[in-house]
Amino acid sequence: MPPFSRLRSVDPARLPLVWRVQDLAPEEAVLPTGHAALDAQLPGGGWPVGSMVEVLQQGAGPHVWQLLLPGLAQAITRQAGPVVLVGAPYEPFAPSLQAQGLPGERLLWVRAEKIAARLWAAEQALRCAEVAAVLAWLPKSKGAELRRLHMAAQQQRRLLFVFRDAQARHDASPARLRLLVEGVDCLQLRILKRRGPPLESALPLPAHSARVAALLEARKRRSGTKQAPAPALARRSHVLDRTAAITG
Amino acid sequence: MYWIALLPSRDDERIAWGWRALQFTPRVAQVDEALLLEASATLRLWGGRKGLLRRLFHDCEPLACAAWAQGRTALAALAMLRLQLRGQAAPARIPQEFPLDTLSAAREHVPTLERIGCRHWGELRALPRGGVARRFGAALLEALDCAYGERPERHAWLQLPEEFDLKLELAALATTAPELMWSAQRLLTQLQVWLQARHRGVLALELEWTLDLRRLNGVRLPSHESIVVRTAQPVQDIAHLRRLVGEHLSRSTLSAPANHLRLRSLETIAWSAGSKSLLPEDEVKGERLHQLVERLSVRLGEGSVLMAQREADHRPERMQRWQAARQSMGAKGAAVARKTVAPVAPAVSRGAKRQLPCDALYPPWLLREPLRLEVRGEKPHYHGPLRLLEGPHRLETGWWDAQAEAARARDYFIARSDEAGLLWVYRERLAPGTGEGEMAPVRWFLQGIYA
Repeated sequence: MPPFSRLRSVDPARLPLVWRVQDLAPEEAVLPTGHAALDAQLPGGGWPVGSMVEVLQQGAGPHVWQLLLPGLAQAITRQAGPVVLVGAPYEPFAPSLQAQGLPGERLLWVRAEKIAARLWAAEQALRCAEVAAVLAWLPKSKGAELRRLHMAAQQQRRLLFVFRDAQARHDASPARLRLLVEGVDCLQLRILKRRGPPLESALPLPAHSARVAALLEARKRRSGTKQAPAPALARRSHVLDRTAAITG
Repeated sequence: MYWIALLPSRDDERIAWGWRALQFTPRVAQVDEALLLEASATLRLWGGRKGLLRRLFHDCEPLACAAWAQGRTALAALAMLRLQLRGQAAPARIPQEFPLDTLSAAREHVPTLERIGCRHWGELRALPRGGVARRFGAALLEALDCAYGERPERHAWLQLPEEFDLKLELAALATTAPELMWSAQRLLTQLQVWLQARHRGVLALELEWTLDLRRLNGVRLPSHESIVVRTAQPVQDIAHLRRLVGEHLSRSTLSAPANHLRLRSLETIAWSAGSKSLLPEDEVKGERLHQLVERLSVRLGEGSVLMAQREADHRPERMQRWQAARQSMGAKGAAVARKTVAPVAPAVSRGAKRQLPCDALYPPWLLREPLRLEVRGEKPHYHGPLRLLEGPHRLETGWWDAQAEAARARDYFIARSDEAGLLWVYRERLAPGTGEGEMAPVRWFLQGIYA
């Protein structure tokens, strides 16, 4: 049989290592994000462990925890060490995070103003064997510096999230996964870059934790369409956590 | 008897080599330029001559390698070493054919002896003893007898000091602290050898440099300056200490050029090496958590590397205390750091007990200093007007705290801003009893951000 005809009998799509353009590339190690809709869109079905995940957003603070907390809560059960926050924009509030699965004792908050110090601290944290994940806020950083961090994460097989300004979306980046986070009431997630076909539409995710959302929902239902004015000083009782009372 | 003579290739490592040799045999002495080891009593322990030599010279990691030779007596080994260093081959008959100048005691008489045709140890020994003793002194014969093993040798055996304390003269005056690093590294290498020999791990050490000037610009200077380097867990491996010392040196300044460097161990404890696992996946690459925390703390400052601790208080800003991670890790013991692989986190279960049901409603970001909000027409503004969605949650606590002005009550609200999303704001209520306070404008503060 001539080699041509033998080749013709092989269907390339059936070969195990061939993947088509519309397939997502498999990742070796992933950590489920805790958001089912997001898992379905990420290659491998979760945050890639051992490569940089770049999160772009306006301002430094919003949506960080809502996006990452479910994943981080799992990450700390795999590793004994803490989650390292490098250059966090505000103070993390441990009681709230603990209620959502990330105890305050498992946080290591590194305060550094200069970008060089943040990069250094993040790289050192990646090299530590016990660190569960590194979250670094690097609003102004160059591609070469990010590449260095990416290499460190790759070598040490660590979870690394880098937060940058939304304006950086047009710059080149070594990250394998780039996300653009927008929205106030509903979190709109755009996947700018992933291993696989680009995602056309934004991915809606809940913008608040389940308890807060339930509380607000219950409040909205009770007050109807009427806008609540600033309540008078003496009228309310002093309990904030009335989710159960209102919904139940 | 089995003697090894060794000569370190670096001169300042002679003491360290002596300490290293002490791990293999208790009989180590320094004779002239070389170190002499007598190892016949410990040969079986190390698996014969081959085993001993392999262990002694092959993985001498922190130290530079050394030249060595062996012999039946100390002086024969030393003569072998000297020949070897001169690049001469060993003579056919040992020790009769050793040249006379390889024997220290005969060195000053070599010209005289050569003129009478006496060049080797054997020829010297063949001369009449009485005449030799009268002409050259009894010491020469004594040394020759020792070299032939016919007379017991006496040596001042080396001993391992209780405390590590070494001083090194710098090759050149150091004007900035980082210039000391090279010498400090040499000292640290020797510290590692000492620690290995004594089976101890170091917890604190002091690096001290002597200043070359007594006064500078009319100001009297201290004779020396020092830094103290501490680590949370005892270490023998010097790589971590080297980085710590490097960080310390990079942020310290010398008030005058320094000429000597001295390293002293302040605190050491018995070393218990970590147990290793048989399973390949348990082998952890990378450094330990306490090492990371120490290095970050040294460079960025202790107040910049923080860990949270829950406090029993209702005021949000007092619910947690951010403590320097170095201290809190030291206090907690290394319970967390020791467990490298165990995935169980006791902190979770302990923390879960202390959880309050309303914790989940708090914002994950907190502002340490509440931000005073602008009020326009009785409405607080932050990036536009705020709409209050939920509240109030009244907090009236801290009245026992005299200095805190938190004695005033606060009403907390969850508010929504079109730009900034959900915020946690509070309205300050004035202390009850101040009737005129009703007239004062209500103050609004931003304390948390939902993210």
